[in-house]
Amino acid sequence: MLGNKRIGDMLNKVPEVTVIFWIIKIMSTTVGETGADYLAVHVGLGTTLTGLLMASLLTVALVVQLSMNRYVPWIYWLTVVLVSVVGTQITDFLSDKLEVSLYISTAAFAVILAATFASWYAVERTLSIHTIVTTRRELFYWAAILFTFALGTAAGDLATEALGLGFSVGVLAFAALIAADAGASALGVDAVLTFWVAYILTRPLGASLGDLLSQSREYGGLGLGTIYTSLAFLTVIITLVAWLSFEGERASKTQAFPSN
Amino acid sequence: MKKTAIACAAAILALATGQSAPYRDGVLLPRAEAAQSRLGDLTPFRNIAAEVAALVDKGDLPGAKIRIKDLETKWDEAEAGLKPRAAADWHTVDKAIDRALEAVRESNPDTANCKKALADLLSVMDSMKA
Repeated sequence: MLGNKRIGDMLNKVPEVTVIFWIIKIMSTTVGETGADYLAVHVGLGTTLTGLLMASLLTVALVVQLSMNRYVPWIYWLTVVLVSVVGTQITDFLSDKLEVSLYISTAAFAVILAATFASWYAVERTLSIHTIVTTRRELFYWAAILFTFALGTAAGDLATEALGLGFSVGVLAFAALIAADAGASALGVDAVLTFWVAYILTRPLGASLGDLLSQSREYGGLGLGTIYTSLAFLTVIITLVAWLSFEGERASKTQAFPSN
Repeated sequence: MKKTAIACAAAILALATGQSAPYRDGVLLPRAEAAQSRLGDLTPFRNIAAEVAALVDKGDLPGAKIRIKDLETKWDEAEAGLKPRAAADWHTVDKAIDRALEAVRESNPDTANCKKALADLLSVMDSMKA
């Protein structure tokens, strides 16, 4: 089937939304956050240096990702992990260094995300993730992803600060919201909307889930520690991405004919 | 997409079941009480801060710099557990720890500044006792 491709054609650059997609996405969130935290605190680079380092790595990964002419799992998911880190760091920088209220940052990121979708739709007349076939569309896609991570971080932190929502209840609350979103999707609510709502909600879900596994039993966690939790999640991510890469040739046939 | 989300939600619910309410000495606490209680036991953090203060008093500033990293790491690791208990109190202690870290980590640390920052930190921690 690869022989059918004309040179210069760009296939859909982003993956189909499957169970594996969500598993990797949720785990990337945790690994991204604990990884950045590890560099900042344990390695002692500090938040500013870690932030600059991650932003540079993201720039490099994004350039490589944009240069691909089809979906390549390892670089796509590496970019997602780095966007997750940088999106989180933007919110943390606003909260911790500039002392911006979480109410303001949550509202601001919601507005910025809405504006991103509005300009995406205004320019492309579609928000479909099945036809990310031009660099311009892909840039809209990654901008939207960056702001969902920033918004997810701010909204999740706001739930902790304002409602005293701990990670155990957080896991249940965010899972319930995602289930409601899935229900809405099943009832025929717009697929684009429910996808992006799930994308936002899986950020605080991933963070709560990571905390549930890593925090000590004293605080109601399972006591695995951040290092083992991150290593376990990283192993799952690498295994799934490797599997996707080997399966990818077959999948590329269906991706060449997007359904909408 | 919907099957996916339902599968994920089910897996997560299964994992979180039984972890949803705070326990103390094996007794289930009502959520409202847990929300009202302050940060809980800060002794492990206070002990390290007191050791750092003792090192500063002895004039061992390099030793203090090494030991205070343990406080930074331990405090950072416990954030997700402690902060939801009392976010405002958590920020008060967090800021006091930041000031102590800053004083002890100066390239040319000033003993008087370090002593003051650590004394402030210890008194902030003590004031958190419920």
